[in-house]
Amino acid sequence: MNQIVLIVVLPLLAAFLVPIVARMSASLGAALGPLVMGVCLWITGTVAIESAGNAFAINIGGFMPPLGITFFVDRLALLFAFLTALLVLVLWPFQGEHRPREHALTLILAAASGGLALSGDLFNIYVFYELVSVASFGLVATGRRSSAPAIRYLILSGFGSVLALVGIALVYTQTGTLNLAHLSQLAPTHLINPIGLAAFALILLGVGVKAELFPVNTWVPEVYATAPNRVSALLAGLVSKLAALVILRLLVLVFAQEQALLVMLLLGLLGVITGELAAWRAQDMNRMLAYSSIGQLGMVFVAFSIPGETGVFAGLAIALHHLVVKPALFLLAARWGGALSGLAGAAGGNLPAALLFTLFALSLVGVPPLPGFWAKLLLVMGLAEQVGPLYHFALAGILIATVVEANYLFRIVSTLFHRDSPASPAPQKHSGGDIATAGLFGASLIAAVLLLIPLSQSLKTIAQQTADAAAYRAVVTLAPTTSTLGDTQ
Amino acid sequence: MTPLDYLLLLSLLTVVIALVAGHRSMGGVWLTFTYAAQLGGLMLMAGLTNQPDVITSSLSFTILGQSLTWRYDALSWYFALITISAGLLSTMYTAGDWGEKFRADGGNLWLLHVAIALNVLSMLILLGSGDLLTLFIGWELVSWASFLLMILAGGPSIQAAIRYITYAMGGAMAILAGLALIYGHTDSFTYPAAANILHSLSTAHLWAPLLLLTLGFGVKMALLPLHLWQAAAYAHTPGPGAAFLGAISSRMGLYALIVVLIQLVGLVRVIELPVLFSFISARDVLAWVAAFTIIFPTFTALRQNDARMLLAWHGIGQGGYMLLGLVMGDALGSAGGLMHVFNHATYQAALFFSVAAVVYRTGTADLNRLGGLVARMPLSFLAMLVGIIGLAGLPPMNGFVSKWLVYRSLMLEGEPLLFVAAVVGTLGTILSVYKLIHNMFLGQLRVEHENIREAPWSMTAPMLILSVVVFVTGLMPGLVLQWIAGIQATVGLPVIDYSLGGLDSAQGSLDMLWVVGVLFAGFGIGAVLFYSGGRTHRVHQLDNYAGGHFLSADIRYHYSDNFYPGLMRLIGPLYRYSFAWLESAVQSGLGLLSLSTQGFYRRVAPANYALVTAVLVLLWVML
Amino acid sequence: MDALHILIELTLMPLVAFVVGLFMVLMMRRIAARIQRRVGPPLLQPLYDILKLYGKQTQISHGILHDIGIIMAVGGYIAAETMLPVPGMNGIADKAGLITLAYVLMVPSLGLALGVGQCANPNGSIGISRALTAMLAYDIPFVIVIFGVAWQAGSNNLVDIIALQQVDGIASWGIVQTPLLAFAGLFALHAILGKHPFEIYIAPAEIATGPMVEMGGKYLGGLFVMQCFQLYTAGVIYTSLFLGGGENWLTFLVKSFAVVAVPICIAYLFPRFRTEDVVRLVWKWPVMLGLIGIAFVMN
Repeated sequence: MNQIVLIVVLPLLAAFLVPIVARMSASLGAALGPLVMGVCLWITGTVAIESAGNAFAINIGGFMPPLGITFFVDRLALLFAFLTALLVLVLWPFQGEHRPREHALTLILAAASGGLALSGDLFNIYVFYELVSVASFGLVATGRRSSAPAIRYLILSGFGSVLALVGIALVYTQTGTLNLAHLSQLAPTHLINPIGLAAFALILLGVGVKAELFPVNTWVPEVYATAPNRVSALLAGLVSKLAALVILRLLVLVFAQEQALLVMLLLGLLGVITGELAAWRAQDMNRMLAYSSIGQLGMVFVAFSIPGETGVFAGLAIALHHLVVKPALFLLAARWGGALSGLAGAAGGNLPAALLFTLFALSLVGVPPLPGFWAKLLLVMGLAEQVGPLYHFALAGILIATVVEANYLFRIVSTLFHRDSPASPAPQKHSGGDIATAGLFGASLIAAVLLLIPLSQSLKTIAQQTADAAAYRAVVTLAPTTSTLGDTQ
Repeated sequence: MTPLDYLLLLSLLTVVIALVAGHRSMGGVWLTFTYAAQLGGLMLMAGLTNQPDVITSSLSFTILGQSLTWRYDALSWYFALITISAGLLSTMYTAGDWGEKFRADGGNLWLLHVAIALNVLSMLILLGSGDLLTLFIGWELVSWASFLLMILAGGPSIQAAIRYITYAMGGAMAILAGLALIYGHTDSFTYPAAANILHSLSTAHLWAPLLLLTLGFGVKMALLPLHLWQAAAYAHTPGPGAAFLGAISSRMGLYALIVVLIQLVGLVRVIELPVLFSFISARDVLAWVAAFTIIFPTFTALRQNDARMLLAWHGIGQGGYMLLGLVMGDALGSAGGLMHVFNHATYQAALFFSVAAVVYRTGTADLNRLGGLVARMPLSFLAMLVGIIGLAGLPPMNGFVSKWLVYRSLMLEGEPLLFVAAVVGTLGTILSVYKLIHNMFLGQLRVEHENIREAPWSMTAPMLILSVVVFVTGLMPGLVLQWIAGIQATVGLPVIDYSLGGLDSAQGSLDMLWVVGVLFAGFGIGAVLFYSGGRTHRVHQLDNYAGGHFLSADIRYHYSDNFYPGLMRLIGPLYRYSFAWLESAVQSGLGLLSLSTQGFYRRVAPANYALVTAVLVLLWVML
Repeated sequence: MDALHILIELTLMPLVAFVVGLFMVLMMRRIAARIQRRVGPPLLQPLYDILKLYGKQTQISHGILHDIGIIMAVGGYIAAETMLPVPGMNGIADKAGLITLAYVLMVPSLGLALGVGQCANPNGSIGISRALTAMLAYDIPFVIVIFGVAWQAGSNNLVDIIALQQVDGIASWGIVQTPLLAFAGLFALHAILGKHPFEIYIAPAEIATGPMVEMGGKYLGGLFVMQCFQLYTAGVIYTSLFLGGGENWLTFLVKSFAVVAVPICIAYLFPRFRTEDVVRLVWKWPVMLGLIGIAFVMN
């Protein structure tokens, strides 16, 4: 089961090999990345089957926590590791000319994302987070028009890193450890105080940059609008979720206090409202999707701010739903750039794309029985169970935002199907790959409807496991130290 | 397998057939048969109307710890009957020449068939909802199915449909919020649990869910002030689709309101629920909302120059009668409100069919571009005549009976102002529908319409069937009232003491058999008197004169525009379009907010926000 | 009550109404003549007029609906008369209360409107537009009055309402019990009759007699019959609502004629109002009085 470490190591290794291999054989270089990701996928799958849902920890180098570096593998971590590999594979830049640098960056992103999913201590998280940042700068900058937004992203991200680092430092001064399990033990005595809260706030803001948390998300619209759409899809779909995952882990294990939840709730709600409102007047599809993505992530944060398993369940459901829908929408938007009004009658040129867009829009708005509805319902149920006006206020905000969302999404849908203006030039056709990939996402959405009951049950199990801080502590401190990185190789 | 399963499967089968064969020329005919089969399936459950019983579906799930169940009772059965009949007749109408022309004009006939079939299916699902969650799911399905039907024609319908879906989503989210509030108290979505908690909630706590649910379901009913979307959305739907929507779609809101207001909260509670800082109760508020929903849309209809818009606006107004009767809560009022659902569906569909027939032949529904068609399209005229008498609520048609019950209830309950409001609505309707039939079928015939013929049988047959229903249920309202009595017994309302001809009551009864009989006897005597007079000389329809001048047919003298100038000089200034103004104000406000949020995201130095927030949070923590 | 009995009643009631109506027309014309210092027509002149019109040679029909319109106009009133109790005969009054009567009375107007519409004469259409506007005006005070009376009597059955007023002589009459409603009712009645100053839809000088513009021969004869019924109906409804109905035929006829005479006496003193002025006037005073009257009744 320790081979799970490979999902971090292999892509990282491959990332450095790709330029070299590509110089020797272009086709081999092009094939290396997908191959590695495929292997990662397989590894994650086998580990998931072997572990049978039981959490376990790996102490790299054999050092016992809190001293060593710990990978913590539970259902949630495996799920995200799996999704990382899958999404990277699905969104792999197969088309166009072969660019080793792009491949290498994508592989680094995959490795770092896997690391984020698995890491069991704050320092590692910070390192992988930085690695994600670096990889994503590079990827964003590959776009033709994206240098200015990329710099903006860089500045904000760097600033976020500083904040997060300060927060981590604060935690360290208070407790003297960065291992999450250990922190979890110490938190009730050392971190339930203003300093702990300040540390959380700083980490939240720092990591929130990637998680599109209000107000450190101002890079989002410009970057998504100008970066290559596959990169936008990857950032919006995957990276933001992993950052949210980090925050979730911290919240459950370390900072389970009321004020922390309150901060999350407020910022999340502001994200929902500002995101959806801004999207309402967006002039082109990429920006609209970007704003909508801010709104959706805001909902994830609102969900996570509900204490206990309910919040985790709802937040995961929304996050996973968004993870399926948003990348697909970005792929569809690839050829539907420019002003929205220019899209009139686009369905005539490409009916499958328009139909897929409609499907995703319906799910995003939350039309039963599509998965988006059930995710939203979970959130609504969770918020309703909470007492306190703020939670009900958040509920109202989210519901109103949904109305706004429905309005702008279906304005676009109707524009797509509008037939009465033949004067406007037909938008470009989609590439077959984009459509096929989006179709894949669409199919998984439909499959999710059919498998709703088992899916919801397994997600509930994941949420239960995730929300159980005591079990986490138990697993890590009792972890065997026999396995090392060397053994597995 | 229960009868309900058969019904839902048949409805699903209809959708599948529409998907597979909707584009074939025989598709409409096959679909007509499957709708008839659905009606048959519904008849298997006809026993529901006799005793308070439910038929459950074997379809049920447990998701997220909530069980989803579906079942039919007398109320569901009644609404389902109207739904399927509307689908049946609309499809019959579409199946023949109308559909061919629609396709030839570039319309998507396949999509129209699919949309109607989906609408029927989703409505049947909604009507079967056995708990609050399935109610919401069915509600959303219905909303989006109607959206599909509204938008499929393209053109001006798109704007209207988007407006609709925005309102509908707003309503749906209000409902969801209301359900969330109930769920927050009970952790359950079942009806009994909800009813329990709603009974035990204090006044202040009951208001929020009640208001949210009423507003949400009221959107579909187009209750004031949430009515703006409906007229255009229905009117721009292609002919039979508009008839279908006008007949039943917005009544789903009434169904849901009955479930909430009467079955869950209980009307007694609504009557007792006081509005804070005033001496009126929630029931009064609802009744007055209903009254304004009668008056304002009716008088808006009076100003319309498009036949379909005019009818659609009346559809909103008539919904007010249903709610008004219902919230009166006595046997007569609730029977009137419920019966009006059936009656309205029948005459409204007939009217839309008739208008669509005229559009089919002339290409326009503009009331200023028609006239004198009575001799050309007598059957369409007949259907419209029966329809408008029903819509205006005059004897001998069925609309009179249901309105009579509402009036009686208002009189017995001692609500003079509401009574006057209801009558004002009826009078406005009479003015408006006369303008409709006059401008289309009476007056001067346009030269270009001299050679048009009656619409084909596939179109006249459905409207004549409906006309017969309108008349027969007007003559023998007991036929419908027996279903109503079943509903009243099921949902816990006082049960009406009906007879075949209407109502037996010590305080004034109604026997339509006698009234209609005497009326037609009177007509017979009138006819005898008339035809015993001298021989008449029939002149050509275009042989007219005015003011001493003979008029040739190419001179336009049809009195159609601004039909009631005297009235409009008086009440014209009262049309302030305040609701439209309010809507646009909300829109502008939203736009402003949206712009400012975009401004936030467009700032050049984004790190400042992070810094400021970090400092603020730290300050908050330290303090 | 056996079938034969009710059949006789149903036949007799419209006949009586027609005959009484003829005399009411005569009275109207005589009063007009007296006011204008003329002698006025002889006793049987209304009957002669009708016979003359029916016997005319030129009978222009503009289509089947033109004919049906007249049939509906006359037939609707014939039906309505059977719902108006007269001394000794109740007809089907207990099967169709006040509201039904009010709405059945709209059927002849609708028939006439359809017939006029078929004539394709703009003057006729304008006349109908004005007539319907007038209806919108006067029906509001009228239904307020109906509501008040029905509430007072606890029933909307005319038979009950009359019986209740005959309990205690004049003191129990509606006009004594509810004077405000009675006044509002009289006002509405005047407007219903469409005499000056509410004669907006005939207006010979403006729209050439409006609905009647294309009517000749038996068409006009039908309208004449309709007018007889209209006067009778108006008089009897008001008598039944406020004057205790008829204890016997004598008081019944006296009261009915007196009721009709009041608006007619006033009518010839006024010129014609504009349409919007009619609506404004009728929506103001009688409605206000009627509502105050209801407020008294309901307390």
